[in-house]
Amino acid sequence: MMESQLAELKASALARIAAAASAAELEVIRVEVAGRKGSQLTELSKGMGKVPPVDKGRIGKLFNETKTAIESALDARQAAFADAALNARLDAEWFDLTVPPPGVRPGALHPITIIQKEIEDLFTSMGFTVLSGPEVETEFNNFDALNIPPDHPARDMQDTFWLEGGHLLRTHTSPVQVRGMQRLGPPLRMIAPGRVFRNEEVDPSHEHTFYQLEGMMVDREVSVAYLIYYMKTLLQGIFKREVTVRLRPGYFPFVEPGFELDIQCLLCGGKGCPVCKQSGWVELLPCGLVHPNVLRLGGIDPEQWNGFAFGLGLTRLAMMRYAIDDIRHLQGGDLRFLRQFA
Amino acid sequence: MKFSTNWIAELTDGGLATPAAGLAQLITTKTAEQEGVEAVGAHFAQVRAVRVIEAGPIPGSHNQRARIDTGAGEVTLVCGAPNCRAGLLTAWVPPGTTLDGGRAIGVAIVSGVESHGMLASGAELGINKDDDGVVELTDIAPGSPLDGLRPDHVIEVDNKSLTHRPDLWGHLGMAREVAAITGGRVKDPVDPARLPAAAPAPFSVEVADHTLCPRYSALLFENVKVGPSPLWVQHRLQSIGLNPINNIVDVTNLLLAELPQPTHAFDADKLQGSTIFVRRARAGEQIEALNQEIYTLDDQALVIADAAGPVALAGVIGGLDSGVTGTTTRIVFESANFQASSVRKTSSRLKVRTDASMRFEKAQDPHNTTRALARAVALLEAVCPGIRLVGGLIDNSAPLRTPPAIELPLDWLRRKLGRSVEASEVRAILEALAFGVTEAAPGVFTVTVPTWRATKDISIKEDLVEEVGRMLGYSSIPPTAPAVPATPPPADLERDYLHRLRSIATQQGFHEVYNYSFVNEPQVRELGLDPAAHVRVLNPIASDQDLLRTTLLIGILRNVRENARHLEEGRFFEIGYEIHKRAGELPDETPHLAAAVYAKAGDGTAGLLEAKRLAQCLAPGADVQVAAEARAIEHPRRAYEIVWRGETVGRIFEFHPKLVEVGRAAIVDLNLAVLQRLGQPAVRYSPLRRFPASDFDVSVITGLHTTAGEIQAQIAAHAGELFQSVEYVTQYRGAPLPPDRKSVSFRVTIASAAHTLSNDKISASREALMAALRTAGYELRG
Repeated sequence: MMESQLAELKASALARIAAAASAAELEVIRVEVAGRKGSQLTELSKGMGKVPPVDKGRIGKLFNETKTAIESALDARQAAFADAALNARLDAEWFDLTVPPPGVRPGALHPITIIQKEIEDLFTSMGFTVLSGPEVETEFNNFDALNIPPDHPARDMQDTFWLEGGHLLRTHTSPVQVRGMQRLGPPLRMIAPGRVFRNEEVDPSHEHTFYQLEGMMVDREVSVAYLIYYMKTLLQGIFKREVTVRLRPGYFPFVEPGFELDIQCLLCGGKGCPVCKQSGWVELLPCGLVHPNVLRLGGIDPEQWNGFAFGLGLTRLAMMRYAIDDIRHLQGGDLRFLRQFA
Repeated sequence: MKFSTNWIAELTDGGLATPAAGLAQLITTKTAEQEGVEAVGAHFAQVRAVRVIEAGPIPGSHNQRARIDTGAGEVTLVCGAPNCRAGLLTAWVPPGTTLDGGRAIGVAIVSGVESHGMLASGAELGINKDDDGVVELTDIAPGSPLDGLRPDHVIEVDNKSLTHRPDLWGHLGMAREVAAITGGRVKDPVDPARLPAAAPAPFSVEVADHTLCPRYSALLFENVKVGPSPLWVQHRLQSIGLNPINNIVDVTNLLLAELPQPTHAFDADKLQGSTIFVRRARAGEQIEALNQEIYTLDDQALVIADAAGPVALAGVIGGLDSGVTGTTTRIVFESANFQASSVRKTSSRLKVRTDASMRFEKAQDPHNTTRALARAVALLEAVCPGIRLVGGLIDNSAPLRTPPAIELPLDWLRRKLGRSVEASEVRAILEALAFGVTEAAPGVFTVTVPTWRATKDISIKEDLVEEVGRMLGYSSIPPTAPAVPATPPPADLERDYLHRLRSIATQQGFHEVYNYSFVNEPQVRELGLDPAAHVRVLNPIASDQDLLRTTLLIGILRNVRENARHLEEGRFFEIGYEIHKRAGELPDETPHLAAAVYAKAGDGTAGLLEAKRLAQCLAPGADVQVAAEARAIEHPRRAYEIVWRGETVGRIFEFHPKLVEVGRAAIVDLNLAVLQRLGQPAVRYSPLRRFPASDFDVSVITGLHTTAGEIQAQIAAHAGELFQSVEYVTQYRGAPLPPDRKSVSFRVTIASAAHTLSNDKISASREALMAALRTAGYELRG
């Protein structure tokens, strides 16, 4: 009797569970079949008392098996409903991330800032201080202190913007050498990037406002060999590859001896191409050993100390690196140009 | 400066073995920067003298048909020159020849006649500029090459790289360099014996100031016949860029390009009196120069004068009236030395630069004046047969300076170069460059400087490092890392700070621009500033760039306007210096950051909020307050001050629509000098709360122009001892509020360090705050 009732309950319960259409329906079934009070299982368990003692063990076991079977069927079915619900929700959450994110995109540093910062970092890592000086300078700092006295023909090499009050717009960053020597005293290693001015008509390759980076080292022993070492290191840092350099005589009144430093053309490897005007070499920076007069005027005894100095055209480097064919873009303020450097 | 390699070869013993291209490279690496090599007169290998046998008209053409004797047979050709005539000796360019400039000559049908090659003018052969007819030759056999005309190469050297080398403005100096580089010997073309033997000077020279004119030498010649120079002289000058004029002037140019002593020939019969004066001009004196310009002089210019007045601007240009002409028969041949700076001043003040002034500016050697005269005697006899010297040498000279000897310690030299070098090698290099070398003490040379290098170029031992270094070759110096202390360099705080700000601004979406330091009066006035308060450029490149900026906003405004032409919106910033005038000293240069958010669409409020966010990113914790007064360039209701750590550090505003007509531009302008001075406060950790905080909302109803910032400050002031923070939540306008009122809501956070707050305590705090606000005059909701 009890056995058949259990078998019947199990069969009907499992059939109902399998047929449940939703989690809510399943819950109704759970209450009716396996709930604590008044469910079919509870009702059946009341009949256990009437079972003869001899069958009690067997029937009890059968009851538990039936209960477990029904409960696991309920749990499995419930888990299936939960899974399906989660999947349905996730399916509805399909998202197209090819749309642009809200908010503004980062801006770009000016190409000259980018190059300047790289070179500053390179030199600070080699123990050089970064100094700045004013755009408006005295005639003394811009010329006289750099061994370019009045009426020196070298003054013709640098067309100068003169200002009221006898001042001028610095024609090079070299006056910062003078300020650096006076401020730091020997030994010193410094660089000075900055804006410089020449009274020149503006066209695609000429500007009256451009950017240089000046460098100077003063120590007890400073030789041409050291200068070449630093310049090679600098250029390898800038171009991020092995470079071949050569020094040749160049005249700058603030150095003696003075050099032009050429780099073997990176495009043709020295074989000759339009960029190097078929010479295999590209003129890159003027440099030299600091003229004793310059040291003296900077308050440094040239018998005790030696130095080298160099100047680098940041504008030119930026144009080389980014293949900029019109110098005027650099100060044109056109966002269509500037945002390319982001 | 252009150098003829033929000329250099003539000045080198045994000539030159190195081809021009290789020579140019050597000159670049050891002496001065060459800018190119050009083949000149290659056609002279083929061009021959010919005689015109007969010439006759070609019907229907202005050309003539000519039969010529080439020395190797007869040839027919067509010639358009008016001077083509039977019996003429002239120059023939045979077929298969290419002229300078690439014109190829062949056999062609011209005016219906087969023409074999061509008869050539001086201009076509590159000898001179004469294009009126074919060259006329004398005393030459048909078939011969033209006298002295040979294929040549011209090396152009960058003048800037010769600034310090007075000697390299002539071929002799370059020949000496080339000889030193290639191991040859230079050949001096000057024979001092050509100067006249001691004889009375035919006229006198008075030099007022030997500082300005250390030496004035001259010779008087008679029986002068002025005419064209031989073709080789003309070609030589033409190929290095000097125009052949006549035999006398051409000799002055040969000397200038060779020794390089500028000289000048006066027509002796046009000089008044028997004394030449070298003196400063009298203010207002005038001179008409050879270039036919009339110059009015001040009392600084140095002139050569006769009894009547100036006849030349010393060292710059001769006078027209006293110049050599076709009728000249006697000449005063001047060879003088003038102070470099005086010549430079005169030439730049009068804006007349000549081949002579360029050389004198570099400080020429006073020893060279009489050398040039000795050379002139030889050259004049060659180009002006029959010319005769009159009397002796005229020479008014300050005592000639013996250059001081330079002590050169060889060990010091090696340390400067950073490589070893044998004493014998140093000696050989210096001697090849004409320095005198004696070993005063072991390892120390005493070096005497040749006079032509001693005027300005070489005076200290450092100058000798260059001489030795360049001749050794700098490529022989191994790059060497110095032994220096590995200490971190002192930081440049301003630069670090500016880089940090740049990085923040770009992260906030702003692009960096660089604007010019130059502005102009209309721009300054448009910004409401006074042009007189700006530093003025005395020689601006253009009249619209004659002031220095005292604000970055002029550039930013330009950026807004120009970008608005292409773009719907944009964000950019500049870090640059405002240049403010200061009496009697250098201007004050103040770093500023100016930024703009431009949008064509919208009411501008989003841009202002972005501007504020940028300001708060750059100056964390900065507050914005409504400015007491808006400037004329600002939207009258949208001008704000940025306050940071108790000081006004900048401004946010929207450009007035009068300045930006389409769209809106929100601007930030920060004074970075003040920001940097104030510095970031040191960060101090405060312990985390042990008990939870509580919050409640408060809504305040106010007039429309009461700011949230003001209310927030009141809340903070009245929220009692448990107060932690107050945050703006939202604001509301509309029913049921009257139109001139708004409700602004805040969330106030309170907490205790000792315990969790009870609901009663929270309510009590809120009530107390609301009561305090009411007392302070605020209306509250709820």
